[in-house]
This record gives sequence, structure tokens and C-alpha cells, in this order.
Amino acid sequence: MLQATNLSKTYGEQTALNNLNLTIHEGEIFALLGQNGAGKTTTINCFLGFIEPSGGGVSINGVSVADNALETKKYLAYIPETVMLYANLTGTENLAFFSSLAGFSYNEEQLSGFLSKAGLQTAAHNQRVGGYSKGMRQKVGIAIAIAKKAKALLLDEPTSGLDPKASNEFSEILRELAKNGTAVLMATHDIFRAKEVANRIGIMKEGNLVSVIDAKDISANELEQLYLQTV
Amino acid sequence: MTALLIKNFLRSKGLLTGLLVLLAAGFVSLNIGKYFLEKNKEIIEKTAEYQQKSIARNVAFHPKEIGLLLYYVRFGLVNEMPNLAGLSIGQRDINPSLQSVTIRNLEEQKYTTDLQNPLYQMLGNMDFSFVLIYLFPLIIIAFCFNLISEEKEEGTWSLVLSQSANPLKMLRLKMLVRYTSVLVVLLLLLLVAKFYLVIPFDATFLAFILTSILYVSFWFSLAWLVVSFQKNSSQNALILLLSWVMLTIVLPAGINAITVTLYPVPEAFSSVLESRDGYHNKWDEPKEPTVAKFHQHYPQFSQYRHPEGKDYSWLWYYAMQQMGDDEAATNAQAFKEKLQKRNTISSIAGLFFPTIHTQLSLNALSLSDMDNYLHFIEKLEGFHEQKRLHFYPKIFTDAAVSGEDWGGFGLDYFKEKANVHWLRTLFPLLIISGLCLILAKMKFRKNQMAG
Repeated sequence: MLQATNLSKTYGEQTALNNLNLTIHEGEIFALLGQNGAGKTTTINCFLGFIEPSGGGVSINGVSVADNALETKKYLAYIPETVMLYANLTGTENLAFFSSLAGFSYNEEQLSGFLSKAGLQTAAHNQRVGGYSKGMRQKVGIAIAIAKKAKALLLDEPTSGLDPKASNEFSEILRELAKNGTAVLMATHDIFRAKEVANRIGIMKEGNLVSVIDAKDISANELEQLYLQTV
Repeated sequence: MTALLIKNFLRSKGLLTGLLVLLAAGFVSLNIGKYFLEKNKEIIEKTAEYQQKSIARNVAFHPKEIGLLLYYVRFGLVNEMPNLAGLSIGQRDINPSLQSVTIRNLEEQKYTTDLQNPLYQMLGNMDFSFVLIYLFPLIIIAFCFNLISEEKEEGTWSLVLSQSANPLKMLRLKMLVRYTSVLVVLLLLLLVAKFYLVIPFDATFLAFILTSILYVSFWFSLAWLVVSFQKNSSQNALILLLSWVMLTIVLPAGINAITVTLYPVPEAFSSVLESRDGYHNKWDEPKEPTVAKFHQHYPQFSQYRHPEGKDYSWLWYYAMQQMGDDEAATNAQAFKEKLQKRNTISSIAGLFFPTIHTQLSLNALSLSDMDNYLHFIEKLEGFHEQKRLHFYPKIFTDAAVSGEDWGGFGLDYFKEKANVHWLRTLFPLLIISGLCLILAKMKFRKNQMAG
């Protein structure tokens, strides 16, 4: 579903990504680990079409992002590290707005359903987002992704700043999305969460994908050891 | 999506306050216009009454000598002011809309006008055209400068980009919401003005409305162009505010300075001096040459002669007054022509600068521009001449004062009809706005929406 082939990105002298090859299948959750500046976000931004690769390419559902960014956008949902929404609109209205941007029109009930599915308490649905916590906004972000019915989900540090309970709920939702066939690519610092939720884990260093491990073959402690040795 | 954009807009306190400020300023300006119209009406009514009384009183004082009587008697000519001028006072606050003249020399009388509070003249009036030309753009700038950059700076932009295949469409709608809100305020003000100032709905008012709408549209187009550069908020604000300062203050002042330098009018001063010398000196000169010149000017009065050996006669007196005008005529003409030329330069400059163009157009439609004043002065000259020709033979034959129907001399009125030059009024604004939009389109295409 998500495929990067010899993906490279350089900024002047600096190499942000170096010949990255990566395939994420339907229903698979792939976690990218790595230090700040290892190239995780750059990879995600290439899939989103926000930045143009210097070499190689990315494709989604077999469609090249470079050639057809408008079409690949339809397959994608994205949750940034910090989901920022329109503070003057309620949770439901934000969801309605972002869904309409993607060409979807839902009624009140459906919108509320998505928000509940994303774990946002009903009482908050019709409150202005200005009063939301980071976790609540994150949940609206998830609802936006769910409502888009995307084939692939891109997450940039999705659990940073979430409390353990919210983080756990988040993992549940990801698993359920994967079960329904969504391919998930998630950049994270959270080794424990990566081991917990992902099928495969990649460790990046200075733009290179150094190792890829099956999550079931490794314990959290071993993963941490490997991570520390790699970076 | 549109409904949510409107909701988001209306829930933003700052933006709503902007609209209310605009509305409030607009209402104040309408009140100032109303006051101006009423004051003008009052002046005319009072003058009409005063003229009748004053003529009657003078007739009573000087029942025997018509020449002496006409030294005092003033006849008023009103430059009728359409109520639309309440919206665009223009030069009506400096140039009088009513002028009373005696049949003595005219040149001096042209410039003896009302006393005005000089503070008003410095600041100009805060009339509707001021609110439109100066304040509307500021609010438009405040509404639009961060159209994209607020999304980038507040973090919603990346989500917008990941969701939408065409974020430009969303931006257009966002702009449209702002455009509509400002138009609603503008049209509301004009609607209130229509009833409050009792402005007839005719082609002139329609042109006034369209010009106002196009002027507002120009500022939105300019803001859209600046937004298309996709700079950050502070840069956008800076560019737009600089444009505002240039267009509303620096350029008009600059063009004014240019016209004044290109066409200085020493004639304004010298024609008054010449006119004064023209008759004052005649007291010390032999009377016959003055009368001879008068006969040259008016051969029809050649049969009237200055009584030989006499020091004084009304024929000579009015001949001498006439010389004041005749000797200043060349200068006065040059003065008028230069004012006309200054006017032309401003109109040409206006074609390129919407602020100047809008001000000139609104003034022209409201008959509060320089052209109207020059036409009025021309009319005044004719009016003055007609009074002279009527009274000269009576003075020269020392006709009986009682033979004239003095009660019949009410105020005369000059009523100009505004010519609506649709193309010349609307086209320049359309072209410049269109240009901004085309450039913005190119810029957006080139820059693609970036994160």
C-alpha cells in the first residue's frame, strides 16, 4: 500500500534521506524509530507530497505521489504530532469542516459517531475546540482520519504528550483500523508503544533505514538495547 | 464548508469588532454629511431672506440715486448641491455653494468667501468618502493579511493540505466570506444614507454605489495578491500597510505637489492685485480715458457721456469698476486654465491609483469637485454680467429707484447635472483589480500550496 523506492532527499550538503526502501502492506502497522533528525518526518512528508524527493520516489496504492499527488491524497489520512484545529469551532464542526475539505459530507449523527469511535467523550463533541486538551484534539484528528476512510494512515509522533491511558486508547484504535485493512506508518520516539502496537519496526539513523525487525520476534528490552546500539 | 467558514468568521471576536467599527464610523460619517447638507440649506434659506430684507432696506435708504443703491445691493447665486454631496463633501467645504455679488467689479468678489473653521480644512471632513477610502481598506487588510499564514502559524494548514486536493478553493471561500461581510456593511451604510440623506435613486447614485463596491473590491484583490506570495503574517501586514500609506497618503500628496509645481498659480494673487489697481488708480487719472475704454467694451452705451468738467459721475464710477475686471481678465483666464490643467493631471494620475480615482469620481458624481466649482464661477460671471447689463442703462439715465421691482430679486440657482461617465468611472478600478487577480493566480500556480 505504502511504498518508498530508493527514496532520497538532500538539502544542499545535508542528506536527510538516503536510498530508503520501504513497503507497508494493507493492515500492517509500521513504526519508525529514530532520533530527532533521523529522517522520520521527512519520510512521512514525502508520502504526503509536502516535499519533493531528490531521488527515488514514493507510491501509494500503486500510484506515484510525484505524478499524481491529488489522487494519492485521497488514499491518505494524516495526523500531525500536534493536531491543531479551529479554536472557534466545536469538535463536531471541525470534523465536518475537514471532512468537507476531503469531499465527504456527514450528518450530525455520523460525525458524533466518528468522534466517539475516536474516544472523545460525548459531552465534548459540541464544545469549542479552544477549550480542548492536547489529547482531545488528537482524538478529533483520529476522527478526521477515520472519517476519511483512508487506505493509509500517516502518523507523526502521535502519542507524544498523551497520558498513558490516552496513549493506550490510541493504540487500540490503530489496531482496529489495521484490522480493517488500513496501512499505518507511524514515526515515534516511544519504543514501548512501538513494540506494543506495530507489526514491524524500523530504526533510522542519519537518513538511513538501519534495521527492520518483526515486533513479535523481539521484547521491549531487547528493542531498547538494539535502538541504543544503533543510534 | 461555506457555512462552517462563516461560523468560524463570525465567532472570531476581532473580525466582528472590525465590522462594527466600520459600521459605527460609517454612521458617524453619515451624520456629518447630514449636518453639512442642513447647514448649507440653512445658509441658503437665510441668505434668501436676508437678501430680500437687505434690498428693501437699501431701497429705503437710497430712494433717489440708483447708482448709489446698486453700490450696496447684492444678488446671490446658489450652486445647488445634490444630497449625494453629503456622502462626498469634496471641495464643497472650501468653495462656497452660494455667492452674493454686487454689480461692481467681480474679480475681487469671487474670492471673498465665507469664513471656515481652518481646522476642518486641514483635516477634511470625515464624510462617507473618507470612511470608504481610508478606513475600509484598513479593515480589509486586517481581515485578509493572514488568510493563509494564520493557518500555517496556528498549525491547521498541514491538516488542511493533507485533507484537501484543492486548498485554494477553501482559501477562495474564506476570502469570499470576508468580502461579503464588508460588502454587506458597505451596502447597509449606503441604504441608510439613501433614506437618511434623502438621496434619489438615479444613475448618479448607482454609479456612486458601483464605484464604492469596485473600490472595496480593489483592496480585496490587492490583499489576495499579497496573500498569494505566501509570506508570513508580519510580512503580509507590512506590505499591505505600506500599500495603504502609499495609496491613501503619499501618492495623493505627491501628485498634489507635482501639480502645484508644474502649474503654479501666481495669477491667483496677481489677478486680485491687477483688478484692484485696475480701478483704484483710476481715481487719480483723468476720467475721459476710463470712460472711453468703457465705451469700447460696451459700444451700446456710447450715447452716455461723462459730464464734462465734473469730478464724479456714476457712469465713470462703474466704468472704473469695469476696468478692474477688464485689466485682470487675462490673468483670471490663465488662472482658470491652470486650475483646469491641475485637474486634468489629477484625473490622469487617478487612472493608475484607485484611491485618487475613487475620490475624484465620487466628488464628480456628487458635484463637489473642482469642475463643478469652475462651472459655477463661469455661471457667476454670466449672472454678474446680466445684472450689469440690466442696471447700467438705468444708472446712466438715473432712472427712478421706484421704477424697479426690487422684490423680484430673489436668489438665482445654478443647477448642474452630474454626467455619469460609466466607462471612465468604473473601468480603471476594474482593470487594476483584474490585474491583481491575474497576478495572484499566476503566483498561486507557480508556488503550489506548500506546507
